[in-house]
Parts: sequence; structure tokens; C-alpha cells
Amino acid sequence: MPSFNAINYSLRPSKSIHRQVVFDGLSRLISHMHLRDIVYVGMGSIWFTDFVLAHRILKIKDMISIEKDDIGKSRAEFNAPFSTIAVKHGTCSEKLPELCSDEHLRARPWIIWLDYDYEFNENIASDLRFIVENAPLNSVVLVTFNGVESRYGKLPERASNLKGIFGNVAPDSIPRDRLQKSPMQETLSDLSLRFLKAAALEKARPGGFVEAFKIVYSDSSPMITIGGILPAPDALGMSRAVANGASWPGRPARPIVAPHLTIKETIALQKALPSETALSRTEVQAMGFDLEADQIEAFQKYYLQYPSFAQIMA
Amino acid sequence: MVDLSDARANASPTKAFFVTMITRDISLEDCILDLLDNSVDGALRKEGGQAPGLGCGPDLSSYHIHVFANAEIFSIRDNSGGMTLDDAADHAFTFGRSNSSVHEGYSIGVYGIGMKRAIFKIGREIRVRSTVQTVSDGKLSFAVPIDVDAWLSDDSLPWDFDIVSDDTLLHDGVEIDIKRVNPAISNSFDNPLFMENLIRMLSRDYSLHLARGLKLSVNGNGVNGIGIKLLESDEYAPVRIKYADVTGSDTVDVEIIGGMAASPPDQSDPTENDDTDRWMGWYVACNGRIVLSADKTPISGWGTEDWPSWHRQYSGFVGIILFTSERAAALPLTTTKRSVDVTSEVWRRARSRMREVTKDWISYTNQRKQMPEGAREREARARPVDLEKVSARPAVVLPRLTPKVSEKVGNVNYSMPVTKLKKLASSLGNLNMSYRDVGIKSFEYTYDDLTGDE
Repeated sequence: MPSFNAINYSLRPSKSIHRQVVFDGLSRLISHMHLRDIVYVGMGSIWFTDFVLAHRILKIKDMISIEKDDIGKSRAEFNAPFSTIAVKHGTCSEKLPELCSDEHLRARPWIIWLDYDYEFNENIASDLRFIVENAPLNSVVLVTFNGVESRYGKLPERASNLKGIFGNVAPDSIPRDRLQKSPMQETLSDLSLRFLKAAALEKARPGGFVEAFKIVYSDSSPMITIGGILPAPDALGMSRAVANGASWPGRPARPIVAPHLTIKETIALQKALPSETALSRTEVQAMGFDLEADQIEAFQKYYLQYPSFAQIMA
Repeated sequence: MVDLSDARANASPTKAFFVTMITRDISLEDCILDLLDNSVDGALRKEGGQAPGLGCGPDLSSYHIHVFANAEIFSIRDNSGGMTLDDAADHAFTFGRSNSSVHEGYSIGVYGIGMKRAIFKIGREIRVRSTVQTVSDGKLSFAVPIDVDAWLSDDSLPWDFDIVSDDTLLHDGVEIDIKRVNPAISNSFDNPLFMENLIRMLSRDYSLHLARGLKLSVNGNGVNGIGIKLLESDEYAPVRIKYADVTGSDTVDVEIIGGMAASPPDQSDPTENDDTDRWMGWYVACNGRIVLSADKTPISGWGTEDWPSWHRQYSGFVGIILFTSERAAALPLTTTKRSVDVTSEVWRRARSRMREVTKDWISYTNQRKQMPEGAREREARARPVDLEKVSARPAVVLPRLTPKVSEKVGNVNYSMPVTKLKKLASSLGNLNMSYRDVGIKSFEYTYDDLTGDE
């Protein structure tokens, strides 16, 4: 079943927050690297949430959505929120070579975000390798995939499965404690970033690959977004400086796990923010409801990105 | 007529030749191995100069070698006793080994080119430091700093490097730091794939040293030796023979072990998702250092006279041959120490013995093709044995397989997308199931379902 039939994207606060964190980072990169005339390439599904942000926040006009599903293609065309979105019907492995051979597109930097809801597999690896080897200079590549440990096989088989997916960038042995629970998402993030970096260096891509995004978020199950910059040689220093700066948002130290709140609860919490001190559970209880301490902490950290329905409407 | 009586052709070397030319003929991996070999040789020298063998040799558990490498810097540090001032002044930095040089017992440093070639290949700002215990003056510490660009600017003789006094290192040993890493090398050190493969290479090539306790790390991560084991039962047993090969005034001790390390594949489809094949083939060690591993090429004999080329059918076989000699020059190794000198007489004599071992295995796998099920059951009864515990045996022991008369069979062959195969494997209960088994299980499932016939 296509994911748009299974998921109502508006009801996932952590995904929404993480998306805004990514766009905050992209906005900084565009500004510091002076990127112009960017093309956004994504998998807009029928919701186009990231496309709306790309247009509103990053002011990107030309956008391409890859849609492999027959009916999805028709619905995507119907739901595309802007006239400058082109829906391409096919899989990434079919459409990416087409895009890369388009001379008009090749001359411009891309922001390409492949947002999957399933696990990292050989096909994703192959698509990413193609992007790293062929995307124009100064492009940014992002990929989102499922980080649930069981998707990568049973525990005894997991290390060899990762080797099968990521190839030789995966160590021959990975300690078992790195293959379970939250360390598993860390392992997957690291391996996928190593995969991208190695692909760029093996290709001797000028400027290489600069790691920039490493985000775990969870609404019901952990998802991972990683990515980085494929800079031109003269932009390498700046892209490194931005992505490794102290205020860079693209690598939050902890997973984004936002509480599911009612509008009434959201408004009550927002009224207490911003605050120099951490909101306590007692203070929340005094508002008339209750939350776990880590839920309060997550909200306080990301309250500016916490979604409301109005925000996701195109 | 031109008078040629005083004419001479200039054959003087240039520094640039050593820095930019000979470094092209060696891979970065070989360079790192050269530096590690020096550290290992130092440790072996301190322990009396015996090379490690299978289950024998010096205890190296008090020695460590740490390698650090990233885009900006490379360093290697050991506690192998250090380089003496005489060595630094007279041998270590000369280009090539003079005929009068004394060959170190059981080392594999033979050509006198390794360290220089390695450090010039890696970078432009080099500092070789040593702390050594002297008989009369206690600890002596010195450094040889090399600014490659400055050194290259003048070709006039003599060629030498300054030796300066230096702080005492934490352990008696050698420390080499290289900055201003050359761009291509910097990319390699920054590449996770290169670094992961480097660890794999070290775990393989120094597996005999690691088995004797040597501690080796790369960027703080410990390197473990590969633990090759052979399978043994009443019906299966590896060969283990030893002999001394006298060549000129040198004696080379040779030991050959070989046999079944894993069951051969039931089918020879190279697309099968099976990682084990990469460990199979012949391993060659010279004075304890693996110089050729999992070889399936004509170097170890495959595809040469009276010896078929490697085929996946033969997977499951591992052989190891160890050459040990007090004089490294007698060993059949190349200058890079990453392969075998196939013209060496010692090697050619050994290879004919290797062929006999291999032929037995080839014959076994040919029989096995006729009755893989029966063979698999018998092979499953064999248990892994560490190489050093394999008993001396003049030939490999393998059962003779006689095919049973069986029902006529047909082959089914089809291709499906890998993602679908894996999904089905997972639904059948084992994500790692071979594609072949996915096909068989699917057939059995459909057959039972549609014919009702168990």
C-alpha cells in the first residue's frame, strides 16, 4: 500500500518538527553558500509538505516530485500546490538518470530529499550512490528511512544484513549492543553517512561530501534522516564551517520525540514560553493537565516548530 | 671526429626520483604495511628474533602499534624498542640496502626502501622520533625531521637528514608523524571505505602476530586477527606437512596446511549472496607476515598447468603455506611484500606440493556435485579446529562420494528482484536465506499447496 494511504502526515508532530529543523539548516546553507536558482527534488506524495516549505522558506520555484505509483501520480498532479511542481512518474532509479541528463537541471544546484517510510535497502543505496556520483556541484542530498531494528533482520543476522546493504563501509563485526534499541539508530545513521562519504571519495568527486544532517525522530517508530552537502571545491570551506558550526541545527544530540498534544494543551504550554528555565512537571500540572518530563523538555526545545493544522495547509 | 675518450654518461640519481617516481609504484596500503613491518620487526628482534608461526613463536602481548590517520595527519607509534642512533645514521634513511648491510634475523625488511618510500608517499612534513635504551648512557631520544620540499630543492651530495635531540617518548620505540598529507592520500584517509578496508587488511596480514598477542589499533579501534579454522571429523581432516628447503647457503622452513574450511556451495551461481567465498583460497606467510591471502589466481597455481582456474565450486577450501628463514632475502616475496615472487625456486618447489593438496579438494567437489545432500550431512559432522592444533598428516583426508541412483531431475532457473527475494526470505522465516533456498522453499510451498502432496 502506498504510504499516502496509510499515513496522515499532518498528525505526526515529530516528523513535522524534524522537517522544519532540516529546512532551518537548508536555509542557512543557501544563505552562506550563496546558492541560487536551486531545484528541489523530492517525493511529494499527495501531501507535498516539504515542497510547501521549500517554496515558502527557501523560495525555490522549480520543484520535481518523483512518484512511482500509478494512482499516486494522478493524485499528486491534482494535489500539487504550486504551478512550478513537475510530477515525474517512475521509480527513483528510473527518474534520477533522466534528471541528471537534463542539461538545464545539471547546471543548477539541487536539494534532493528522498523520503522513504521503509528501511534502508540495496535500492536506496543504489539511488544514493547515483546521486552522489552525478548530482550537480553544491547540491544537498538528504534521505529519510525507517530505523526500526527488526526491519534489519533478527539480532544474530543483523550485522551481516547491514554488511549486505552498506557493503564494505560496514565493519566486519558490529557489537550486539550497537544493533539494538537507540544505538541501532545511531549505527544506521553512521553507516549511511559513511556510505555517502565513501561514494563521493571513491568517485573522486571534487569537493567530496560534507556531513550535515543526522536526525532521529519518532512519532510511533524511530525514523532517520541523514544527509550532507556535495560542495564545489571553492565552497568546501564554507560548507564545512556552516555544518560544523556551534549553532548548526542538523545534528540534534537526542532524538526528536514530540508529545502528541491537543490544541488546547499546545496553547497552554506556549503561553509559558519562551522561558530561561526548564518548564517543570509541577508547572504543567498547575496548568491543569500532566505530561512526562521528557515530553515537556521536547516541547520546550521545539515549541517554535511544533505543528498546527494551519501550518501544513498549502 | 669527436673525441669520446673523456665522455661519461651521467647516472647520478635525483632526489625527485625517490620522492615522486618510486612512490608511484606502491599503493598506500603497501606503504602502511611497510611502516608496520618495521614496528613488528622491532618487537620480534627484542624477543629474540624468531618469526611467529602457527601456535609457536615469541609472546608479543607486551607490544602495541597504534596507527592514526585522517585527512590532515598520519602517525604510527610503537613500543618495539626504538631505532638506535647508529641505525638512523647508517641504515634507516639510506636509499636501498648496501651489500655489506647485516640482514636482520627473521625480519621481512629486505630491500631497504620501505620506510622512505612510505613516508614520501604520504606527506611533506615528516618527523621520525625514537627513544632507545643504550648500554652505557641510559635512554637516548632523537628525531629526524624532514621537510620534503626543502630537501628536494638541492640535489647536491651528500644526501642526508639532520638528526636532532628530542623529548623522551612514553615508551622505548618509534613514532612517525606526517603532516601536510598529500591530497590523494588525504582523501583516502578521509574515506570510511578505505579505512575499513585497511583494518580488514591488517587483521588478515598480521593475523599470526595478533595471535601471539600483538596489540594493533587504527584510530583507537583495536584490530583482531582473522581466525581461520579448518573442519575435522572421522572423514575429513586437513593436511599438515613440514620440510626444509635449502637454497644456496640459506635454509627456508616450509609448512603447508590445507583442507575444508566450509562446506562447498551446492550451486555455483556467483550471484548468490554469500560472503564466505572471499576467505577461501591460498594464504602465504613469509616470516610470519601474510603476503598473499585468499588467493585464487595463477600466482598460487589456479589456472596454471594441470591445475584448473578457480571456480565457485571449489569454495570451502583454505590452504596456508608458511615460509620462514633467518635471511629475508631467501623468502619468496616481492618488494611490496604483498605478493609472491613466482620465479623463486623455493616457491616453485612449494607450489607443486600445494597442487597435490588442491587436486584432492577439486576431485572431492567434482564428486560432490552428484550428491550434494549426502555430502552436506557428512560435512555437517565436521568440527572447526584452530590451524595451530591441526595434527601432522601427509595428505588431506576427504571421503569418497558415490552417487546414489536417483529420480530424474530437472532444473528450474529464474530471476527475481533482490528486494522481492529478501522480502520472501523474511516471510519464510530467515532474511539471510540463500536465493536458491528461497526458490526451493517457494516451489515446495506451492507444490504442497496445489497438489496436496507432502
